[in-house]
Amino acid sequence: MSEISFRDALRDAMSEEMRRDDRVFLVGEEVAQYDGAYKVSKGMLEEFGPKRIIDMPISESGFAGMGIGAAMMGLRPIVEFMSWSFSLVAADPILNNAPKMLYMSGGQLGCPIVFRGNDGAGGQLGSTHSWCVESLYANVPGLKMVIPAFPADAKGLLTASIRDDNPVFCLESERMLSLTGDVPEGEHVVPIGKAAIVRPGTDCTVVAFGRAVHFVLEAAAELEKSGLSVEVIDGRSIKPLDIDTIAASVRRTNCCVVVDQSWSFASVGSEVAAEIHRVCFDDLDNHVHRVHSDDVPAPYAWNLEQEMLPNARKICEAVRSVTYTA
Amino acid sequence: MPIEITMPRLSDTMEKGTIIKWHVAEGDEVTAGDVLADVETDKATMEMQAFDDGNVTHIAVDEGQAVDVGTVVAVLAEEDEEVPPPAAAAPPTEATEPATAAEPATAAEPAPARSSSQRKVTPVARRLAESHGVDLSTLEGSGPGGRIVKRDVLTAAAAGDEMRAAVPPSAAATAPPAEPAPVVVDQSTMPVPATPVHPSQPAPLAASDRREPVSSMRQTIARRLVESKQEIPHYQVSMVMEMDAIVELRKQLNGELSEQGVKLSVNDLLVRACAIAMHRNPLMNASWDGDAIIYHSEVNIGVAVALPESRGGGLVVPVIRGADTKSLRAISAETRALSEKARTRGLSVEDMEGATFTISNLGMFGVDAFTAIINPPNSAILAVGACLQKPVVRAGELTVGWEMNATLSNDHRVVDGATAARWLGTLKELIEHPAGILV
Repeated sequence: MSEISFRDALRDAMSEEMRRDDRVFLVGEEVAQYDGAYKVSKGMLEEFGPKRIIDMPISESGFAGMGIGAAMMGLRPIVEFMSWSFSLVAADPILNNAPKMLYMSGGQLGCPIVFRGNDGAGGQLGSTHSWCVESLYANVPGLKMVIPAFPADAKGLLTASIRDDNPVFCLESERMLSLTGDVPEGEHVVPIGKAAIVRPGTDCTVVAFGRAVHFVLEAAAELEKSGLSVEVIDGRSIKPLDIDTIAASVRRTNCCVVVDQSWSFASVGSEVAAEIHRVCFDDLDNHVHRVHSDDVPAPYAWNLEQEMLPNARKICEAVRSVTYTA
Repeated sequence: MPIEITMPRLSDTMEKGTIIKWHVAEGDEVTAGDVLADVETDKATMEMQAFDDGNVTHIAVDEGQAVDVGTVVAVLAEEDEEVPPPAAAAPPTEATEPATAAEPATAAEPAPARSSSQRKVTPVARRLAESHGVDLSTLEGSGPGGRIVKRDVLTAAAAGDEMRAAVPPSAAATAPPAEPAPVVVDQSTMPVPATPVHPSQPAPLAASDRREPVSSMRQTIARRLVESKQEIPHYQVSMVMEMDAIVELRKQLNGELSEQGVKLSVNDLLVRACAIAMHRNPLMNASWDGDAIIYHSEVNIGVAVALPESRGGGLVVPVIRGADTKSLRAISAETRALSEKARTRGLSVEDMEGATFTISNLGMFGVDAFTAIINPPNSAILAVGACLQKPVVRAGELTVGWEMNATLSNDHRVVDGATAARWLGTLKELIEHPAGILV
């Protein structure tokens, strides 16, 4: 166990898997000579050489499609999007090809590929570069989606993603890349589809994904001052969703707030809320409350961007409302 | 004009009724006087009749469903009449005014009031209320719009626990529903005793445990007896009565009058004796009324009767009205008829209203002595044990004689110990010298 950054944890996962399995390789914009736009792949070109750490032109549709072809032929590519916002131009390969390949080939061709990159508001990047793609993409059958919030899970989930035989979307956040935490050295696999209780509590369950988990922890500390004990669940995987862990918590607390960075309509948050209502109906003391980004394009101004996000203030309000303590 | 049939108010205390069984279906033609349904109230199961002719165009309440008094349960229409379905699917109307029972709500203007059955309760609050035995109708919801939420139920449950801790369980026995083993007297018309009920104690359910929702009768028993035990300052006085004379008298009367169908029970004699004792000591024939005591002009003796399991068990208290003015023969016949009716068809509300005193008899179960819980608004109840042969001292000699224990529970707000003791002494006198019962 050593304390390292989220960024280094991602790199350790990729490097360790590349040492273990020579079918694994990394492609993306500036991943090689520049050590990655966010330095995630720092030193990897030196260790693994230009055949496995490959710089790509600004052509997401092209290199995502190339990765899918390689995966179909038996390799295990990692495709880095500098931002998931840029993956929108690669929608056809990543949504229409990769997740459907196993089905459309009658099981002959799998697509063991990882797409990864920064998701969500990075801080004054404007509305076109601040996408949260989880709700949009999780709607598609045939793919998996993980969204780590801590360095250890970043390593463990990315490792599991590389080893998975299906297309896995790994959502990171540039706001968390410098976050440090204890990460196991050597092989560390966090199974896809398992949530974690990151703060136990008794009065209200709050489920969040990715960066929003940190907003929730901030809110939970604030709420504790007024005597409200919040149980915080880090979903860790969006697809498949670990409803069992969430439901077990809701059965103890009898109320739940879901925090999701994406917009509310037809979202991960609405899906989680619907599932809780289905499996925990008789255990609920209030309808599930949701906190999302406001239903507007991400503003550029710092103060407006902070206000648009599912921030701690909004989470506190939701928890007080759902527990009838507003 | 379509006629809306509403849940009638079948007794003064009725707030809700349950349709136990529909005797008609949608499309049926009915004439005035036809039985539409069986309705279970808090006291009895009664027939609901049609007051008009018509076709049943709509049945709004399912069997087993409890609705407030005044709720539309069905709609009748004249032949060939076009009837739109009720505007609201039988919105239960607020039963605040007795008048609503008689006035059908108009279809065009469904009452906006929210009945207790429609109160907003969160799912977990409903579940916790069941497991903690909390009556949701007694709660004020603290959630938005008066929604009853978890903390409302838990607060009420905690308050209930404190209450239970403060009131120790009654010493009264619980009568088993099984056929009683005869001890002394003929059982056929012998009324059986009140079954005191304690407030339900929430207990963890083991896998093999069974949790059964209770009938509205059992809920009424539970509610009334909890109220009685919590509100009435009970105390008991007890006496042993020599029964030789009355056993002899009963044998003689039944022998001589058997051809006339007379078959007196000890209990019949007791009803008569209590009625006469009431007449002599009217202070006992009274009810507490907040800041006054009501002294009743009639002596109406309630007799607790256990119901067979086939009728759902429980107990009812049919009333012998004006028992001080009725002959033994009349009391016996009436008691027998009411017990039979209770066990087969069910008593009407009139059969059970107006008691001023109650007798509960566990003698046929071999019980020597017990104490009973007062049946409000009575101020006393007599708990009667078995009439047994015992070694007794009579005129300084040890001999074999018949004895019976009678324990009187009293409301100390109404009668003090000396009054109760004098009344019991009067009863003892009447039992031991039964000429006063006959004439």
